[in-house]
Amino acid sequence: MATNPMHQFNVYKIGPEIKINGIDLSFTNASLFMLISAISISIFLLLGTKDKKIIPGKFQLLSEILYNFISKMISDTAGKKAKPYFPFIFSLFIFVLFCNMVGMLPYSFTVTSHIIVTLAFAMFIFIGVTILGFVIHGFKYLKIFVPSGVPVVLLPIIMIIEIISYLSRPVSLSVRLFANMMAGHTMLKVFGGFVISLGLVAGWLPLTFSVALTGLEILVAFLQAYVFAILTCIYLNDALNLHH
Amino acid sequence: MTKQDDLETRLKIAKSKLEIKHSKADTKKGAFLGNAFKLGTELVAAVAVGSIIGFILDNWFGTKPLLIILFFLFGSAAGIYNVIKTAKKMQENKE
Repeated sequence: MATNPMHQFNVYKIGPEIKINGIDLSFTNASLFMLISAISISIFLLLGTKDKKIIPGKFQLLSEILYNFISKMISDTAGKKAKPYFPFIFSLFIFVLFCNMVGMLPYSFTVTSHIIVTLAFAMFIFIGVTILGFVIHGFKYLKIFVPSGVPVVLLPIIMIIEIISYLSRPVSLSVRLFANMMAGHTMLKVFGGFVISLGLVAGWLPLTFSVALTGLEILVAFLQAYVFAILTCIYLNDALNLHH
Repeated sequence: MTKQDDLETRLKIAKSKLEIKHSKADTKKGAFLGNAFKLGTELVAAVAVGSIIGFILDNWFGTKPLLIILFFLFGSAAGIYNVIKTAKKMQENKE
């Protein structure tokens, strides 16, 4: 079963098949692990905010650090105007982080290693930010495609390039998270397979390697959640404050 | 009174030391890895999006190989432009 390193990415149904209007809404292992992440986030934050002490306990300290971390990130990248969007970015960051971290547990499934999940996040952010830009600035928002100080002759070409660059945002945002998670987990499985096939004689070498890789993967899991959140802040900043 | 003042100044010094340590650790550890990935995907995504737009427009107008080539080039330009923008932002953060 474990010989195929891509086997871990299989999505299968759990329980009965549910079909509404021809759309398959069955409960799968992906939904199960999303649910696990969501529940563990709720438990973690509920424990952290249960009794507010002046000298915080472990959970309270962790959740306070997390809160400060995100609020500092938002004020650094998007300024004061972005404060109302704190809940969205906080939930986005913590959900991606927990999905990545839950995926690091043995026998679990990594939700964010599927491009459809990350693309759904990224498209939601992209469409939301675009609507926000138009709501705040009206048609002036189209100015982000027209950089200042460009000769009129070059303007059509620059505009096409700017539009492509704008449209590539959700793609790069989703592909980055998905590719990092999938590549890392495949690599872990491949090295795990080497340990089995080389046995007691030479299996120690890939074993040490896969221990190191696990550490690296935990770093990547955190980093990618961070990058995802910080890029959302940057896009939000572009929509809130027009600079061009 | 003097004791409290003393404590406060010591706290301030300790805090400023901690901040310096933190900022140094942030720039050294991990961040470079994220930045490297960021640059790579930024370039590839723009090329892919440009090519897809070219492909769709080709199917619309029936000018099969022309627009996809043109938009591939536009996509590459957009990719490089993206990379330059991101690199500039990184440099700003460093200073």
